[in-house]
Amino acid sequence: MEPEAKLQELKAKLKNVIKRSVYVYRVDCGGCNGCEIEIFGAITPVYDVERFGIKVVSSPRHADLLLFTGAMTRAMRLPAIRAYQAAPDPKIVVAYGACGCSGGIFHDSYGVWGGADAIFPVDVYIPGCPPTPAATLYGLAMALDLLQQKIKREQWVEKEVTPVLPKYEGVDPDLAKEIEREARRLSGYLYGRRIAAQYLEFVREKDPLAVDRKVKELVKQEKDPRLAEILLNLHKIYMERVGHDAG
Amino acid sequence: MLRLLKKALEVGEATVEYPFKPIEVAQGFRGKPAYDFSRCIGCGACATACPPNAITMDCDLERGIKSWNINYGRCIFCGRCEEVCPTGAIVLSKEFELAVIKKEDMYCRAELKLCRCIFCGEYFETFREIEYVREILEQVGLTKKSSESRVQFLKVCPKCRRHKVARIAALSNWHVDLNGRREENGTRS
Repeated sequence: MEPEAKLQELKAKLKNVIKRSVYVYRVDCGGCNGCEIEIFGAITPVYDVERFGIKVVSSPRHADLLLFTGAMTRAMRLPAIRAYQAAPDPKIVVAYGACGCSGGIFHDSYGVWGGADAIFPVDVYIPGCPPTPAATLYGLAMALDLLQQKIKREQWVEKEVTPVLPKYEGVDPDLAKEIEREARRLSGYLYGRRIAAQYLEFVREKDPLAVDRKVKELVKQEKDPRLAEILLNLHKIYMERVGHDAG
Repeated sequence: MLRLLKKALEVGEATVEYPFKPIEVAQGFRGKPAYDFSRCIGCGACATACPPNAITMDCDLERGIKSWNINYGRCIFCGRCEEVCPTGAIVLSKEFELAVIKKEDMYCRAELKLCRCIFCGEYFETFREIEYVREILEQVGLTKKSSESRVQFLKVCPKCRRHKVARIAALSNWHVDLNGRREENGTRS
């Protein structure tokens, strides 16, 4: 029998045997310990991986499943190999976190060899920086064949040229730029963009008096004083511009 | 013992029912960057901003294609791509179930067509970006006639543009002085 096929068969047998009692040993190959915190978050009562029998053990000799966290650094590669060899065969290897999957943000560092897959055959990759306890739970369940994989490789090809229209249709781009910039300056990119989109909905009316009335009404109804303040600031920019154009 | 039981009953169950029922993530959770191919103009702002180089861009000048690649296995979910994207093509979704068995499933690739320069005939920019710029110029309110020449000018690569502008400037101001040199340039290139 082919060694690869035999290994797969052994792993399937292992999964069948360890069903409700999986011992996990985690190896930190040189990460920032964010992943460890999330692993320990996963064994707290809130996420409670122990209801699936998953238990974090302190020796690789007891382990069925090895979790490699952090980028594979030059200094930690030998201890990682020792831990791998100490774990009894067959074993399941999981690359955990962005660094464990591919080196993450440290991928081009001088002391980093890449992810765990640079040295070991990896069964499951759990991306995330760090993966949330729920993602950890999902990844471990996938390693044990309890859940199915959800994402697939995606590929798009542009067959014919399809134009992309600017975001705020029907609004003067200069005004849209100024409004969005001010909103982002005041409240950050995430909320700023939303607030700017909300405000520019009114501007689409074209009639400055109607815009003025509607915005004032909205500000009056707004319970959050911060949002009201930002909307008033944006309105000031608009009114100045409109006044300038008229005068 | 009874007191403990009573307390336990009062508190209820703290454990989430996650793998059996979907879990609700926190507000503002940054999950998998969802890519909308129909909005991407291939400007490369996200690739420049991406701290771990999870997003990379590549030009294939043989086939005239600019490709956009993301490796979710390297992504640190910082949201810088969403911050810089001018068209809103990339938005961080709430999806967190990203575990895969094969590494290839963590990749996503998109290919955009490149436009040729009308003078030197080399590929230099995606059609979509040129169309996008044209659309904005039209909205700013350029008249039809001048925008027609501008649209043509958009399809000139930066190198040729520099040459043309320099030549126009030279011709208009120092026609006599540079006339000989201009011919020299013409023969050399």
